[in-house]
Amino acid sequence: MSNIENGTFSSYLRNPSLFDEIYDENGSIKMVYQKLFDHFGSHTVKDFVQLNNKAKASFFNQGITFQVYGENETKEKIFPFDLFPRIIDAKEWDIIERGSIQRSKALNLFLWDIYHEKKIIKQGIVPMELISSSNNYLHQMIDLDPPGGIYNHISGTDIIKHSDGKFYVLEDNIRCPSGVSYVISNRTALKRALFGVFNHYLTYTVTDYAENLLDLLESVKPKGVDNPVCVVITPGMYNSAFFEHSYLAKSMGIELVQGSDLFVENDFVYMKTIRGPIKVDVIYRRIDDLFLDPLEFKPDSALGVPGLFAAYLKGNVTLANAPGTGVADDKAVYTYMPEIIKYYLDEEPILNNVKTYHCSRPEELKYVLDHIEELVIKPVDEAGGYGISIGNTLTASEIEKVKAQIKETPRKYVAQPILSLSVHPTYIEQSESFEQRHIDLRTFTVLGKDKEFVLKGGLTRVALKKGNLIVNSSQGGGSKDTWVLKN
Amino acid sequence: MSQEYEITYKAKNDYESPVNNAHWQFLIIPEQNLTQELISVDFTNSINAYNEYSVNGQGFNTIRVQPKTAFENIVFTGSFKVRKHVVNPFDQLNDMSPVAEYDLIKTLDFKVDHEPFLRFTPLTTLPVDHEPSYVFNFGKSIFENLQELNTWIFDSFEYVPAVTNVKTTLKEIIALKQGVCQDFAHLFCALCRRNSIPARYVSGYLHQGNGYIGDTQMHAWAEAFIPTMGWVGFDPTNNILASGDHIKVAHGKDYSDCPPLRGVVYSMGKNETTHSVEVLSQQQ
Repeated sequence: MSNIENGTFSSYLRNPSLFDEIYDENGSIKMVYQKLFDHFGSHTVKDFVQLNNKAKASFFNQGITFQVYGENETKEKIFPFDLFPRIIDAKEWDIIERGSIQRSKALNLFLWDIYHEKKIIKQGIVPMELISSSNNYLHQMIDLDPPGGIYNHISGTDIIKHSDGKFYVLEDNIRCPSGVSYVISNRTALKRALFGVFNHYLTYTVTDYAENLLDLLESVKPKGVDNPVCVVITPGMYNSAFFEHSYLAKSMGIELVQGSDLFVENDFVYMKTIRGPIKVDVIYRRIDDLFLDPLEFKPDSALGVPGLFAAYLKGNVTLANAPGTGVADDKAVYTYMPEIIKYYLDEEPILNNVKTYHCSRPEELKYVLDHIEELVIKPVDEAGGYGISIGNTLTASEIEKVKAQIKETPRKYVAQPILSLSVHPTYIEQSESFEQRHIDLRTFTVLGKDKEFVLKGGLTRVALKKGNLIVNSSQGGGSKDTWVLKN
Repeated sequence: MSQEYEITYKAKNDYESPVNNAHWQFLIIPEQNLTQELISVDFTNSINAYNEYSVNGQGFNTIRVQPKTAFENIVFTGSFKVRKHVVNPFDQLNDMSPVAEYDLIKTLDFKVDHEPFLRFTPLTTLPVDHEPSYVFNFGKSIFENLQELNTWIFDSFEYVPAVTNVKTTLKEIIALKQGVCQDFAHLFCALCRRNSIPARYVSGYLHQGNGYIGDTQMHAWAEAFIPTMGWVGFDPTNNILASGDHIKVAHGKDYSDCPPLRGVVYSMGKNETTHSVEVLSQQQ
């Protein structure tokens, strides 16, 4: 076993109870990681200290930062980047890619149905509460046909590998999933830091995301438009994902706008430019539903465009993602994904769902309250890892507090068994060595009119705190370059 | 029998310093439906800004105004001519026993189809500890129950302008026993929805020639869906069914779906807004 002679990894502590992605079941380095492992072994630990600092500086210099919303203050941080890339071989990727497309398509059909005939509810496959108690179900969208029939143009699917070696989906993000710009900047950063490692592998590029996204956005242009003008709308530079908004606009070669750059006249949307107004046909919007149009939704929204929803209603502009998609990325909808996939596609789910307990159901609520130590408790309507409690890390008084919260508003919570996310060697600054850390994967799927695209890479997020299972950047996570191999 | 009405809506806005950026959306044009025919629409503003006719998310006709020049005062005037046809709500009555009616509204299909108007919104949520003083008698038809509910609200609550506003919750209104038309419409909707009857908030005009209570602004009432009759309008402020004197503009889950005026105005200093509504009738 070569790992014993590997200088860089000689101190790598392998906890056999965790599923380490770079080892096979016999405890040897997986074939696919061997060359990478050897390459890393040819560097000294000192090299990594230096390389890590270089990579950090590069992110700072490029302004690749995000903001963390806190109770008292908001901080700008870089998204920590790890030097050891994650490799996904062609066979595994095939499962992930087909699974991501399957879920995105099923969710799109689900959205069409719940905003039209509502057959899946009337036939009793999913409960009516999924819409009737959801604040994200927009009645304005009922019987409205979005251009090309697409609601969730862009989906971010969070996938983990459990200790059983199978892939599980943790959630489907179909409002404004973010993170794709990190996929691309991570690749750039790794190429700068350790170019040599790429010589040994045939890896798919990730830089084709922008052209594919633009192509698919153009495919859902409004009727009667030949050459659509597309823009990205951002809430502005104080938004946590502003870097990404500007990055995407720049790499697609389209304008990045704020609400005040657009106006609506005769139910068409125009962009103000120094050469006069230009009609806008497709808007990749990175602002939430309720802020889109102060005349239709939140009246005090200064981020949106007055009259935008009327233009959308008339079919004169495409919004991606469509308003009202949030109803389907509710964690309560997640639990019905196997049924939803079966109902619309007549297929078995390719990616597994995690068993989920609904606190709104009395018998499941009882189970949750009795087994809270073995469960992860999640609020159904929060994103970014906020409000999650992991049962086995709570103190007795914290458990009582969580129980009281659940009992007060059971509909707000679901619970899942604590999954053992796979681990991956990760460079840790404090110890100046590689250690095992938990990882997940967010894939990016784009649906267009009769075509789709999955970015061959995705964002591998890593929980930098030892033993931590929450990988969200807002909760102190980092990320890794993710390679999808061609063969 | 039909009757013609001429409605004049006026809104006057004065600002302390010039306004450069403003957007308004008016939801004041009477809707076209079986009982009312829209004969003419005229809308002007005092600074000759462009009036854009459009629709809102519920499909009702709106007028948007976005002035391109600075102003300190602006007056909007809308004039609408409407012909009302009085339809007897019992004309389309289909035969159904109260038992069959209540069975129907409990079916999943019915609940799904009427989901928006069975939902408890912030303005139509009854207080948790509220013991409803009004209880349905399931031996009677839904229509009879709703007539009694209409009367109960009229008898138990006093019409007092300005004690409530557009954000007042039912909890406060029930404690006060006072309110205006929109509060009573919200209460009516909430009690319908609590009894599984779809109900929607209606914004419109009331011809006050008959001594009805309303105010000199817009009026509000409620419509409930009765399986044997379809949507029927109830005006708990006046203890009557909505009739020829009620000119409907729009409906929604509650007031927040259909305020007559929505605006985004970037202004400095003080501002003052006054609205007035006049409804004149001509017997045909």
